Amino acid sequence: MLRREDARFLEGRGRFIGDIDIPGMLDVAFLRSPLAHARIASIDTPVDADGRVFTAADLSDVKLVPPASKVPGHRIVAAPPLALDRTRYVGEIIAACIAPTRAEAEDLVETLAPDFEMLPVIASMDDALSDDGTRLYDDWDNNVSMETGFDSGIDEIIANAPVKVTRVLDMARQAMVPLEGKGVLAYWSERDDQLVVYSSTQSPHQIRTALCEALGLQQRQIRVIAPDVGGGFGYKAILHPEEIIVAALAMKTGRPLRWLEDRFEHLTAGANAREHRYEMTAYADDRGRVLAIDAKLTTDGGAYSVWPHTNGFDAIQASGILTGPYDIGGYRVKTQTVVTNKPPLSPYRAVARPGACFAIECTMDAVARAVGRDPAEVRIDNLVKAEAMPYKAITGKEYDSGDYPACLLRAMEMVAEGPKTPAPGRLLGTGYAIYTEHTAVSTSTISHIGIPMMPGFEQAAALMQPDGSLELRVGVQSHGQGMETTMAQIASQVLGIEPDRVVLRHGDTGLSPFSTGTYASRAIVMTGGAVAAACDKIAVKLREIAAHLMQCEPSNVHLEDGQLRGPTATMTIAEAAETWHFRPYELPEDVLRDGLEVTGGYRPDGDKGPFAYAAHAATVSVDPELGTVELLDYVAVDDCGTRVNPMIVDGQVLGGVVQGIGTGLFEESPFDDQGQPLATTFADYSLPTAAETPIIRLDHSETQSPYTRFGVKGVGEGGAIAPPAAVVNAINDALRPLGAELCAVPATPKRVLGAIFDAQDRAIADLEVSK
Amino acid sequence: MTTLSLTVNGRQVSTEIDPRLNLADFLRERLSLKGTHLGCEHGACGACTVLMDGMPIRSCITMAASCDGVEITTVEGYDQDPLMSRLRKAFREEHALQCGYCTPGMLATAYDIVSRLDRPDEDEIRAELAGCVCRCTGYRGIVRAIKRCIAEKSA
Repeated sequence: MLRREDARFLEGRGRFIGDIDIPGMLDVAFLRSPLAHARIASIDTPVDADGRVFTAADLSDVKLVPPASKVPGHRIVAAPPLALDRTRYVGEIIAACIAPTRAEAEDLVETLAPDFEMLPVIASMDDALSDDGTRLYDDWDNNVSMETGFDSGIDEIIANAPVKVTRVLDMARQAMVPLEGKGVLAYWSERDDQLVVYSSTQSPHQIRTALCEALGLQQRQIRVIAPDVGGGFGYKAILHPEEIIVAALAMKTGRPLRWLEDRFEHLTAGANAREHRYEMTAYADDRGRVLAIDAKLTTDGGAYSVWPHTNGFDAIQASGILTGPYDIGGYRVKTQTVVTNKPPLSPYRAVARPGACFAIECTMDAVARAVGRDPAEVRIDNLVKAEAMPYKAITGKEYDSGDYPACLLRAMEMVAEGPKTPAPGRLLGTGYAIYTEHTAVSTSTISHIGIPMMPGFEQAAALMQPDGSLELRVGVQSHGQGMETTMAQIASQVLGIEPDRVVLRHGDTGLSPFSTGTYASRAIVMTGGAVAAACDKIAVKLREIAAHLMQCEPSNVHLEDGQLRGPTATMTIAEAAETWHFRPYELPEDVLRDGLEVTGGYRPDGDKGPFAYAAHAATVSVDPELGTVELLDYVAVDDCGTRVNPMIVDGQVLGGVVQGIGTGLFEESPFDDQGQPLATTFADYSLPTAAETPIIRLDHSETQSPYTRFGVKGVGEGGAIAPPAAVVNAINDALRPLGAELCAVPATPKRVLGAIFDAQDRAIADLEVSK
Repeated sequence: MTTLSLTVNGRQVSTEIDPRLNLADFLRERLSLKGTHLGCEHGACGACTVLMDGMPIRSCITMAASCDGVEITTVEGYDQDPLMSRLRKAFREEHALQCGYCTPGMLATAYDIVSRLDRPDEDEIRAELAGCVCRCTGYRGIVRAIKRCIAEKSA
């Protein structure tokens, strides 16, 4: 089924946050810190700036909103929305300026004269862990915010394993780059006794919760509306300081206020994703069967903890899935999340799984090289087998269903048929990566890992209209996922109603039941389940009406193709709905006193999240002189259970793959040793465009989850997980004749050449020794 | 202030503007044509692409004051244009959009590619699109939609 939301975007009639005009609205621009670590000595403001310039002192009644964590010893620091006396990353907000237009607000920012005393900068994980005494927080004894660990007991394996392979693998920091930046618009509505906050967010109810805490309002007093949202990817699933500032100042000034993030702000203050370092040791037998993984993971958590995820979410997620889709009997991991003078680490599409997949999959290739076998064959030997499902991994996670080896075999088959002709002088290589992904994360999982603000349930309201059309109201927000289509399809599946007679209202706390939002590949599972549950209730009611009118038992009425069929008669949903609304006298007075509008809730059976999985394969051509990499072919075979809309599933996978290719080959937010961001425009921050992207070929299998309605599994994030690993494994396959191996992404020419030069240096050193 | 006279979507516009106003802000804020989107404001992402005298340009790095006498077409301005109608249909059927934010710029660029090129291969179409970023779709649907409209041209 084609998407129902397309028409408005194709005709320029979408309504994004920047498109909303409220009479009397003023624009906000921010003075942001130009320094990574400094004490704010003073801020000179123009004499006539009263009521137009605001600093932390003006928001003293706004409360901090620290995210909750149950991880023992986790040191959480919530960012003050406006910096108090100290700024801890370039781009941290120091003052807010208000003017009739953004240009004038920026002019006002230019007139402010802050005076700083520079402080020593912690610009990297290594800086954070060095023993030179520099601290981000004066009262901490080091710069480590969170440490976690797990040990299944692997000493015996270590003592006996014939093969030991060690690698250090780095994934760079990057920005998430939704094409529409963040934005927020707020005003006080006297009529509703309510603060109305339009925000370009994935999680309206979550933002409402946090804003109420910050502003000391009851939840009935804030309505958060997400209009059309131009891409999220996790960036818009967290509370942003701008949301608090604009909301607070709208109340303080009594004026509608708006802030729209520009690209410079995004690439500097928003350079907040990934940046992991994995020290991986695999212990294997001499056929490459991995017996244990011993890992140490360090993540750069940036300066503060974002709400609600904290800065520890990447480390927790990565360490929970680092053994991948493999049957590995021993696992030990230590994680540390350090604080640095960088923007706070935030959850980007597939949160940490691209890093974990990169780490285990490059390690798997290294094991294969060490035992002299084909990496794909070594994988097949190590993968969890279909007959072992449901499989309890050593991490405690339950992989619910699927055939991982068959998935990889299909990817191998497809890539074998793909283009394989490099230009003269280039090296050809093929690489694989396979993952399993916990989608629609459950309440117990979230509670177990210690982030209680993201529970695994959803609700949906279904309002039967008098003419038999149906209004669905959900709290999640659709920003590209096509839920206006898929949720109507689900209602149609349950009620037999035409999808064109269903409308989805979403992303508005004023219209929908409570929700935690669109993230974690959860909407089709959780909200889809809730829509089905609400429609089940509607179905019971419609059958009851029809049974009275047809003089039969409700159990003898069946819903098919929008018709209510009884033993002797048939009526439409519209006739039943119309009778109840407009001709109640035709029904006994006790029929449906509780109405034809319902709310349904949903949690997967046993509170279990389904595991989607995929195998990817890439063929690259590498120029050994220049270090450039060209993707010749890319294959992704995924299994997300039942596909409600195969076209949309393809779109999610393709878009994810290209973001993953960005992580693997192009995207990086480097900082210099003073914590200055070095990629501040799209000229320095390289995104994959159509020209760098190969023709991506897809295939699917459909193994239904035993735990979810319709057997669905989430698919929104998965595409982004495997590409960094698949691409680097392909590059390393190409570099094999040179004895070179790359262990970091993005695989920029500089890094590829670095790997080649290192190999040359090693060869020369070996030669010296043999002399 | 500077005086500006131009044609936007077939309508004559004459007004006073601040010389520092860019064309995108002029279209969005002064004419309420919100279909033109800003993605980077430095001419690199293509979201703000509109047609100026039939040629695709970046409205974010085009000063409004430099547009005197020109004819601008935004996404709102194609009415029943047969090529744009075919492109819209193809974009929908090939799933060439998800969040929809890059779509107006993509359509303007696609309109130019399809109008100008008769037999481009896949690589040429992709190279032509290299100035437009889509963060959602992975480009496959966009390339396919353009290919299809070019094929229809010669059919």
